[in-house]
Amino acid sequence: MKKIVIIGGGIAGLEVSRLLLQEGFPVTLIEKSSHLGGNIRNYAYLFPDFTPSEEILKNYTSLPGNADLQLLLNTEIEKIDFSSRPYTLFSNDGIAISADSIIIATGYQIFDARLKEEFGYGIYDGVITSVEMEKMIREQHIVTPYGKAPRRIAFIHCVGSRDAKVGNTYCSRLCCITAIKQAIETKKLLPQAEIFCFYIDLRMYGLTFEELYLNAQKEYNIQFVRGRLSETSEMIDKRLIIKAEDTLIGRPLKMMTDMLVLMVGMEASNFSKQFAYHNGLEIGEHGFFKPLNQFNARGKSQKEGIYFAGTSIGPMSVAETIEHAQATALSTISYLKGKEN
Amino acid sequence: MIPMDEIYADPRIRENMNACINCGVCTALCPAADYYDYEPRYVERIILMRNADALEELMSSDYIWYCGQCMSCKARCPRQNAPGTVISALRYWSQKLGLFIRSPKGRQQLIIKQNIGKNIYELGYCVHPSRLTMEEHPEQGPVWQWILNNLEKVHALVDGNIDKNGPGPMRKIPEESLQEIRSILEGTGAIDLWNQIEMEVINTDNDQNC
Amino acid sequence: MTKIADMTENSPEQRKKIYWKDYIKYIPEDDYFFFRSCIRQTFFPGAEQAFLAILKNNLHKNYFDDPRLTTCTGIGYHSDIIPLETLHTMIARHFSIMNESGYSNLVISCVTTFGVMIEVLNTWHEFPETLEKARENLQKTTGRTFELPKAIAHASDIIYLYRDEIAKQSVYKLINKETGKPLKVVDHVGCHYAKIFPHHGIGGAEFPKVLSEMIKTWGGEVVDYPERRHCCGFGFRQYLIKESRGYSLTHAQIKFESMQPFHPDLILTNCPGCNMFMDRWQYVIQETTGKVYSSSGNGIPVLTYEELAALLLGYDPVQIGLFMHQTDVLPLLEKLGIQFNKNEYAKLREESLDLAKIL
Repeated sequence: MKKIVIIGGGIAGLEVSRLLLQEGFPVTLIEKSSHLGGNIRNYAYLFPDFTPSEEILKNYTSLPGNADLQLLLNTEIEKIDFSSRPYTLFSNDGIAISADSIIIATGYQIFDARLKEEFGYGIYDGVITSVEMEKMIREQHIVTPYGKAPRRIAFIHCVGSRDAKVGNTYCSRLCCITAIKQAIETKKLLPQAEIFCFYIDLRMYGLTFEELYLNAQKEYNIQFVRGRLSETSEMIDKRLIIKAEDTLIGRPLKMMTDMLVLMVGMEASNFSKQFAYHNGLEIGEHGFFKPLNQFNARGKSQKEGIYFAGTSIGPMSVAETIEHAQATALSTISYLKGKEN
Repeated sequence: MIPMDEIYADPRIRENMNACINCGVCTALCPAADYYDYEPRYVERIILMRNADALEELMSSDYIWYCGQCMSCKARCPRQNAPGTVISALRYWSQKLGLFIRSPKGRQQLIIKQNIGKNIYELGYCVHPSRLTMEEHPEQGPVWQWILNNLEKVHALVDGNIDKNGPGPMRKIPEESLQEIRSILEGTGAIDLWNQIEMEVINTDNDQNC
Repeated sequence: MTKIADMTENSPEQRKKIYWKDYIKYIPEDDYFFFRSCIRQTFFPGAEQAFLAILKNNLHKNYFDDPRLTTCTGIGYHSDIIPLETLHTMIARHFSIMNESGYSNLVISCVTTFGVMIEVLNTWHEFPETLEKARENLQKTTGRTFELPKAIAHASDIIYLYRDEIAKQSVYKLINKETGKPLKVVDHVGCHYAKIFPHHGIGGAEFPKVLSEMIKTWGGEVVDYPERRHCCGFGFRQYLIKESRGYSLTHAQIKFESMQPFHPDLILTNCPGCNMFMDRWQYVIQETTGKVYSSSGNGIPVLTYEELAALLLGYDPVQIGLFMHQTDVLPLLEKLGIQFNKNEYAKLREESLDLAKIL
């Protein structure tokens, strides 16, 4: 029987595992942390319809019990020997695993907002990331670091995205819609709060995203300001001052706010970059794995039998990640049946 | 028609004009935008249009003279542009092409030339105590009046060397050094620029008097 | 020849992600070629002399103060009467004089000069034909040739580098003698120090550490306030032309208003222009509106880093020229418990400010 190793136990790795097992292929799933699920655990509810993320994870609860699944948690693959078939993978604790096909589903990491010093994350307590906001939304309890209900909250789009200064020139795609989702959730929890979204371009690319934007404006009175945050500072009473330009009016804008939410973008994980470097796998200009092409081989690598699933190749939503994982599963099966190379 | 190719060949424009994302971080913190009806973002926009008429209009207006050259815009731009440096180039070309006389702020370049230019040429300093009168600079306060009245004594107290030979603060610049910098000013276009500023402004004033 | 690449923003680290708070640039340790500032020499000549005295007497460093240097013409460049080619050639001449004197570590007193020199080096790197043109122009106009400096530092970088040694030798600390509490200090770093080329500033563009680390090392408390990074308001032509001088005042006032609630004991600067403006505009605001930003005296004292270092090292306030400030520094000297000839100081202040009583 052909042996398949999947690296990464986020939803991409889980979806590929589920499909391969369903089609009768035994799978080794390797996850570096102590639990499955990956980054989706950072989100309580998913855009565009506020589906709880647990519902997505539920699809995979029966996986660990599957006899054909070898699950290796707390395991990191460091090196792959490509010199002979099947390939051999070596883990950090010295285990060698052989594989006819390898699926890289190593995902993404969020942008480290401390790199964007002028936004004040890690400097001023009132500045938080969208991941930290999601946690408060999950707990249904949004408070400033000083324990008060914020009266004004500003969401800042494109943090660590579209920014040559921090080395990420691409659009992270999901932050605009996530900001709108979180803004609505915040307004539901704090009906008295004033909520602002600062954006450069609003990228509502999904079929129903534009409706959510409209809803945010009409039903929830969320204010949209076209202008990127320029700088954050803190007053003596710990409220924040933000400076931006309202580019539709063409005048500088200075605003006080109790809380600032930075919509941190997705970037290639350090693990992926290291892993690619040590194993001679190709990385694209934005640091993510580079697929064979951008049209009909988005799940294939340059190396035979090595595939990608999910956000290891670039920013994707949960839905897109699952679709991409499904396509990769099909490619892998075709390959293992000798129908495709 | 303004010489578009030459203007766009200026290193300050080539280096600092990498397309604009129109995010406004430059305007957000620009002291000039705070004080005047001014936007560095608008300057980048006109430059990127590459439209000769629009650029000529910009270079003929007060607009390019609002910038205070603090360069805060450079630090924040996500495309690593520097509108302030582009402004330097536009101001140069505005003077070179004689467009500066069309705006009141542009014509003020004569004041700069007659002060800073003169100081550099005559003394080898941009500023010098002898050229900072209380009449022109009342903001300098009583301490400055006293310093001016007691220049030698004050400088002696702090180990200065005002208007004397040898090293030290406010020393007299040696004649050979002054000759060298005057030669540079003449040989690299500064004196031509100054003459241009003076002639254009005088001619305009004469026209207006007639 | 020194590689220009080492000295420009395009050095390899540019592409790496930088935690600016950890970023430290290279600062030369000795053998400095000192480049004076027009504004500093005009308004606070004692500060530059204090810097040289500290180098010589306290840090035992070698430096050279070359009388042949002139203005860098940076103020002329930023007020648009010095063409780019002229600026390049002027800077080339300074480098040529440095070569001739046998030095290669340039230490610059003025932040405008520091900014233009790095801008020029950067342009030469990006557009090598402009470097060739500068060589040709310098040869043609002066017969000189030149090589690039090995290192460029601002004078405040040097004090930053030796801040611990200065602390070790210091007689006073940034501590209120009466209360025993650290003095509250706001730093104001000149815009052209790191905003144009962040890699050339200690700590980068947003929170440069060059002054704040001195303050901490010398016992003070750094006060962060909302308009900390705002320009002092010089604005070159905006200040130089009387009609638009309100621009300069307005921005200084924005800063004073923003820092006042934090009750700073001292404003510390590293830029000659900023120091003068923050000193003088407080006087103008007081004269025109009656507003004083300090709880005692006639404003928040404004010191340069050289003045502060010298003061803590026990240099005489008169010798370093503190009497040349418009905003009185006496309240600060008293808080620090500085021992000095108060009569001499008071006499000079009395003469200059016509104040009946100062002690």
